[in-house]
Amino acid sequence: MKITDAAVFPYPCGDTSVRRLALEAGSLGFDSLVAMDVPAGSFGGVEVFSGILIKDAPMRDVIARVKRAKDSGTVVSVAARDNAFNRAAISLKGVHILRNIQAADKNAFDHVTAKMAADSNVAIDIDLSVLVAARGIARQRAIHRYRDLLALRRRFEFPVTLSSYARSYLELRAVREITGLGSLIDMDTAGVAAALGGVGRVTAPPVSAVRVIA
Amino acid sequence: MSPRPPTLRENRRYLLVRVEPAGTVIDQKDLYYAIADAVTSLWGDSVAGVITQAVVAAENGHVIIRCLRGTERELALALSTVISCRETRLALRIVAASGTIESLRERIRAITPLPEPVPEHVTGPVAASSAEPAECVFAGKPFLFAHCNGQKVDVIEKGFKNAHRLFLTRSDLEIS
Repeated sequence: MKITDAAVFPYPCGDTSVRRLALEAGSLGFDSLVAMDVPAGSFGGVEVFSGILIKDAPMRDVIARVKRAKDSGTVVSVAARDNAFNRAAISLKGVHILRNIQAADKNAFDHVTAKMAADSNVAIDIDLSVLVAARGIARQRAIHRYRDLLALRRRFEFPVTLSSYARSYLELRAVREITGLGSLIDMDTAGVAAALGGVGRVTAPPVSAVRVIA
Repeated sequence: MSPRPPTLRENRRYLLVRVEPAGTVIDQKDLYYAIADAVTSLWGDSVAGVITQAVVAAENGHVIIRCLRGTERELALALSTVISCRETRLALRIVAASGTIESLRERIRAITPLPEPVPEHVTGPVAASSAEPAECVFAGKPFLFAHCNGQKVDVIEKGFKNAHRLFLTRSDLEIS
């Protein structure tokens, strides 16, 4: 299982090149990264997956962009909105991760959506940058939302990913630090390890329920 | 007031922390306030009062931070939420923990690398004298070298306006 940071934004979105991010991520204990809007590659032993984040787009555009990215090896993420949008996005074939759940409506992610995410093998992302950089009520709200999300996860076992949303290598955090941050949202070491391997789980080709042996 | 005998003193631990990006000028007092703010924001005043963190020393791009023994985990977690110090963006990477300052000082001496020369093969118009920093071109813009360490190269955009710092590698400069 690869330890993956599920979202980084290299230059020109940020101030650090994708090679430098890969180099620094390797020294912080990561095996791979999902870098937004850059081609995939491997730098210094760290695998970089190409990723796209679809946000503020109507459902028709989301469908078109997901279709375009299908079978290209790109990790497709959709930013969460209201409950109906999230259910529709999760049921789309080719969507890997649903993001920004902490910024969506209070009822945007309920037990039905959780069950759909588990059935469709779509990961729900936890944005660590809020835990690191936010202060006061913003961080408290995020902690509350993530605890609620993880309570649903214990019941329905949908995949979870962890993202630093780093636009600079200064915003990357070591795996040990991420484990500590996970303890703030009631995530144990095994849970953090599973979440760091979440990208591998959602991008793996589906295993058939029936195996033909003859 | 006479000092307490050693057996009556509080047991303390010291964390060795590397400050990134390299070459950041650290003011101990400012860093203390940044860390105190992070600890208080994350754990509240009651736990911050127990941790009793203090910046003991700052040398060679590293700082030594003191805390009460048993609160290293809380302090380390709070340190990972420090993102700036007086408008300067930085990251604090924990290197080691120890019971004495001296052992951490030895560690600093062991890990501090020698300064490297700027890569000659990627410089554009080479600086006129060795006192001036060398130049390079990245994404069609001129940059000055700020720091080099192995593959890692930090550059600052040339000019007095919009002097952004970019974090690149030697390969990035060779390709551009």
